[in-house]
Amino acid sequence: MAPHRSSAPIVEGSLPADGESPDGVDLTLIQWFLTLTPYERLEYLEDWVAGVAELQNGRVTEP
Amino acid sequence: MAESPSRRFLGLIRALLRHKVDFIVVGGVAALLEGAPIVTLDLDVLFDRAPENVVRLLAALQDLHARYRDPAGRHIEPDVEKLATLRMHLLRTDLGPLDVLGVIGSGLTYQDLLGRTLEHDLQGTRVRVLDLAAVIETKEQANRDKDRAALPVLRQTLLLKAGEKENRDR
Repeated sequence: MAPHRSSAPIVEGSLPADGESPDGVDLTLIQWFLTLTPYERLEYLEDWVAGVAELQNGRVTEP
Repeated sequence: MAESPSRRFLGLIRALLRHKVDFIVVGGVAALLEGAPIVTLDLDVLFDRAPENVVRLLAALQDLHARYRDPAGRHIEPDVEKLATLRMHLLRTDLGPLDVLGVIGSGLTYQDLLGRTLEHDLQGTRVRVLDLAAVIETKEQANRDKDRAALPVLRQTLLLKAGEKENRDR
């Protein structure tokens, strides 16, 4: 595996002040997502996909 | 019972399980179940290519009215011969896109990766999911632009999970 910048495990309470890894990943989002159960994570995806479909179906025509 | 359109991924998984298909959830949904906050529009599964499992898989796909996502728009349905010989099956189904894979990464099979899976309980539906470290490795092996693009958030998720485990074990 190619080396990457953040190689040390990130311990709770020690996230960078801006909540981002050196390569720009939002660590606070990951931290929140890890509090969900696998089923809750899947539900979140299912709702997201359904929401996208709703947006597509209710597309507003250009004036 | 028809699966609600808002439960596509779980519906696809349940359809495969109803037909006793041996498979592993891989790709984006595996990463998501393992804690990576990513979105994906298709379900990727790695199936055991044993002949009896291919028959069961075909039955599940027929239940789902699966057909290939053909760029030319032709209506092509999977059959035993295609499932047994082709490596990748990109399908449309009644419950959305389903990618059924015989190998992933650098040619890894269901048997190669079974030891790298976890069983997740999704409200009573138990499913084998590729663990996050293995998802990362297979994406590194595939090395396509879209795989490389997903790697930073997957790697950081793995690190955060390791940190949380370290906290719990103290």
